[in-house]
Amino acid sequence: MGPLAPFEIISENTNFLLAFFIGIAFGWVLESSGFSSSRKLAGIFYGYDTVVLKVFFTGAITAMLGLLFMSLFGWVDLDLIYVNPTYLTSAIVGGVIMGAGFIMGGFCPGTSFCGAAIGKIDAMVFIVGLFIGVYGFAFTYGLWEKLYFARYLGEPKVSETLGLSDGLFGLLLIIAALGMFVVAEWAEKKFPREEY
Amino acid sequence: MKSLKLLALFVIPLGIIIAAVPPDRVKHFRLTADELLQEAGAGVQFVSPDVVADMLVQKDPSLRLIDVRTPEEFDAYSMPGAINVPLSNLLADEYTDILNQDAYMNVFYSNGSVYANQAWMITRQLGYENNFVLEGGLNYWFGNILSPEEPSQTSPNEEFAQYDFRKSAAAALGGGGVVSTGPEVPAVKALKPPSTTKAKKKPAGGC
Repeated sequence: MGPLAPFEIISENTNFLLAFFIGIAFGWVLESSGFSSSRKLAGIFYGYDTVVLKVFFTGAITAMLGLLFMSLFGWVDLDLIYVNPTYLTSAIVGGVIMGAGFIMGGFCPGTSFCGAAIGKIDAMVFIVGLFIGVYGFAFTYGLWEKLYFARYLGEPKVSETLGLSDGLFGLLLIIAALGMFVVAEWAEKKFPREEY
Repeated sequence: MKSLKLLALFVIPLGIIIAAVPPDRVKHFRLTADELLQEAGAGVQFVSPDVVADMLVQKDPSLRLIDVRTPEEFDAYSMPGAINVPLSNLLADEYTDILNQDAYMNVFYSNGSVYANQAWMITRQLGYENNFVLEGGLNYWFGNILSPEEPSQTSPNEEFAQYDFRKSAAAALGGGGVVSTGPEVPAVKALKPPSTTKAKKKPAGGC
């Protein structure tokens, strides 16, 4: 029966409307988890606050379990779910740039809008920087094009690459996530910061 | 720490369940109604009777004719080497191996092409490949392949070539049951048909 849009159970416009509401709910959850504070976000790199890791990994394993169970019940066809194509080189280079920007700016793109929405000036400055980056890339696209499309791997899933079933990989990911949460809580005790 | 334990209590059992169940329990419906309509409209499922006749005469092992009519009709007459998969039982487990495979070129046929087309649409929806429909069905097969009509003197050469091919194919395939192929077809076995370009044409659509 699902996914809804490719099977034309809902129209493209309804799809966008749903995305709009889901986006608002996502922003609200981000804000209420404390993601609008750059000090809290940067804490993941220093160990005093690991909420980023916990929220995102909880979100990831929840969504993963939801999709796998919906597939099990015959509610959704996983083959029709959009998977981002992987360009290995640009994924690595982009990841490094994104990580560096995250430490320096204290925000990632989504959370900067979250911070700006509640009036954080540093978040607004971050957004300006974000647009400079976007336009800078767009206007010099010719220089990067080869790098951008280098080492195309198709749309692999980790479970396929490792030769595991989706369910088994899911279980391993859950165990890994819980293990990381334990380490994260240990780090929070080890590198505490009184006020931030 | 307490919330972490609570989370673990929820997600670990769920993870174990999802790891234990066999994957791919969903029947994959690969085509939307629109896409199916487009394929059906373009006629990619049809195989021309001349191609089938040629493959039959050459004893092409990749051809598998599937009769989707009732067993009674199948017993009364069937095409050479055909197997019977009645349309009403198409989804029975015993036929899944026949319909969902990549070794043979399955060609559905019925009296016309309506039932064969229905069989093709169902299997196509299920994502099965290599299934085709005999264009025109048995009626066309009898009327044009097994008893071809001689073209008029003014017809183009291609029609004569086709007629020659059909006549020799009918000779090789004739005597297949209730149909009288007419006196003009001698009961000679294995008369090699002249190969025409038309007969060599591959069925449209990827097989």
